[in-house]
Amino acid sequence: MAAALVSIVSMAVLGLPVALAVDRRARGPLLIGTAFLYGSGLVFVVLLVLSILHIRWTLLSVTVAGLLGCSVAWFAGRTRVSTQHSALSTRHSSPHVLDLITLLTLAGYALYATLAPLWEWDFWAIWGLKARVFLEQGGIDWRFLGSQWNVFAHPDYPLLVPLNYDFIALLGGGWSDRWLGVLLVAWAAAALLIVRGLAAQELPPFVASLVTLATASAAVSAYVGLAEGPLIAFGAAGVLFIRRAILFDDPSAWRHGALLLGLAANVKNEGLALLVAVGIAVLILKPRMVLRLWPAAALAAPWLILRATHVLPTDIVAGSVFSRIIGRLPYVVPMGRFLFARLHEPWFWLAIVAGIVIAPAARRRREAFVLIATAVQLAFFITSYLATPHDPRWHIATSWPRLTVQLALPITFATIMMLAVSFPGVEESADAEARSEQQ
Amino acid sequence: MPSWRRVLALIAVIAIVALRLELRYIQLPFLDRTLIAKAFEIRPDRLWPEYPRFLEGVRARTQNGDAVALIAPTLDWENGYSYAYYRASYFLAGREVLPVADSEGRLHPENFRRAKYAAVWGREMPPGRATVVWRGHGGMLLLRQ
Repeated sequence: MAAALVSIVSMAVLGLPVALAVDRRARGPLLIGTAFLYGSGLVFVVLLVLSILHIRWTLLSVTVAGLLGCSVAWFAGRTRVSTQHSALSTRHSSPHVLDLITLLTLAGYALYATLAPLWEWDFWAIWGLKARVFLEQGGIDWRFLGSQWNVFAHPDYPLLVPLNYDFIALLGGGWSDRWLGVLLVAWAAAALLIVRGLAAQELPPFVASLVTLATASAAVSAYVGLAEGPLIAFGAAGVLFIRRAILFDDPSAWRHGALLLGLAANVKNEGLALLVAVGIAVLILKPRMVLRLWPAAALAAPWLILRATHVLPTDIVAGSVFSRIIGRLPYVVPMGRFLFARLHEPWFWLAIVAGIVIAPAARRRREAFVLIATAVQLAFFITSYLATPHDPRWHIATSWPRLTVQLALPITFATIMMLAVSFPGVEESADAEARSEQQ
Repeated sequence: MPSWRRVLALIAVIAIVALRLELRYIQLPFLDRTLIAKAFEIRPDRLWPEYPRFLEGVRARTQNGDAVALIAPTLDWENGYSYAYYRASYFLAGREVLPVADSEGRLHPENFRRAKYAAVWGREMPPGRATVVWRGHGGMLLLRQ
């Protein structure tokens, strides 16, 4: 357990200069949350680069490269951000008693995630397996990924999660899956700190704590050891920062959003889809701003190039994708019915839809970015079911609940933001905030 | 904002928050977690509890880079061989674990011939020349000649 905890603290320390380089004036929950996520991302980048350079992973090589990486980020960001105003740091949130329930949820999740050595099939057949194989190799084992016998491990999946597990193993002096669940707790905590910090920029503490409590369920992924938790942390944080950037034209929020979405693309293929969905939403709402997402593309590109050069197979595009999609188009309605029948937590989704309908039109327009990005991502999910080379019913049954949880955090945040004007004193508070930001 | 809409909005927010409360986690600090922990601990190997111990024994007697063919009680992919193969890949990380059957129901004797070792669990010794390196936990490790 000590190795896992030391690793998490080390990631947060490594990520702190990066978070401050992105926004020098960041403080409080936003700083802590982003520092950990950037630390986790930096560890991934460092291990990936060392592997590309054929430098064997050791505690020393990783530490030196990590310190070098965060120093570069610090100096790169120093001159630029010191001259720019950051809207993110203008408000500080005071805690609210409701935050205790969120803390209790997180504490319970910490106990759950560390009950036993990681037990999920997909952990030891995909995410943990790759981490353990790479640790033995002292770098990414391209022979393992390229072997026809290891297709079951999804060689095309991005590697942020396995390489984060490897960082813990390097610090611990060897492989142990007993306490890796702590990392899932850290990702969830980082996501909730960011949600709390961003909500507090626009809402009074009571409502901000309510938003955080409502999103806690999505952040604490029940799929312990899999990449759902970090995908939700990086992806949802990225979406919420871009939302902030669009609403308040905040340069630091653009940078945070783009970097976090780029890291989400290195967690799972759905993260890559999310990056495209966000790009489409930005193109629709603020076409000139889409180039501000370039850091996301720059972060996503290396793995895409590596997996193409190593010819790692992606099952969803195996064979003739278009003929499968065309062939299944007549079954879209039954498939829709099946998706509806297998919808995870249908009452929650009903409440979300009701909330969107009830909200004033002006508030819906205000949250258009999150609504469009979520709708496009949902369309990608449905298209993947049409394109799958597997039995679609099996594919839906085994993945649909996980995918809907991925969508839940940003849409919950946006829906409560739309409805929050019904709380006494909120309307004035949010409007005043918007005015002060735009001046 | 009209009052009726304000009331509906409040109801929607309360519903969203209430439906997202994670009672299973909120309760967990106050429950005896021993049984749940035990259930999770045995979950991956509940059908073949000895199998991981056998794989640990194989790991202790092989080196990184060694090719190890896997023979399990069943060679039927869907009925146990996939589990045996995936689990062996995890425990024997660093070795090249080779399956002798695949998901299409085809056998791969070439993998058996290519391997330096054969890890045989829950079955009799296969035909052919091989030296038993180790026996334990319901299986044996063979050095192929």
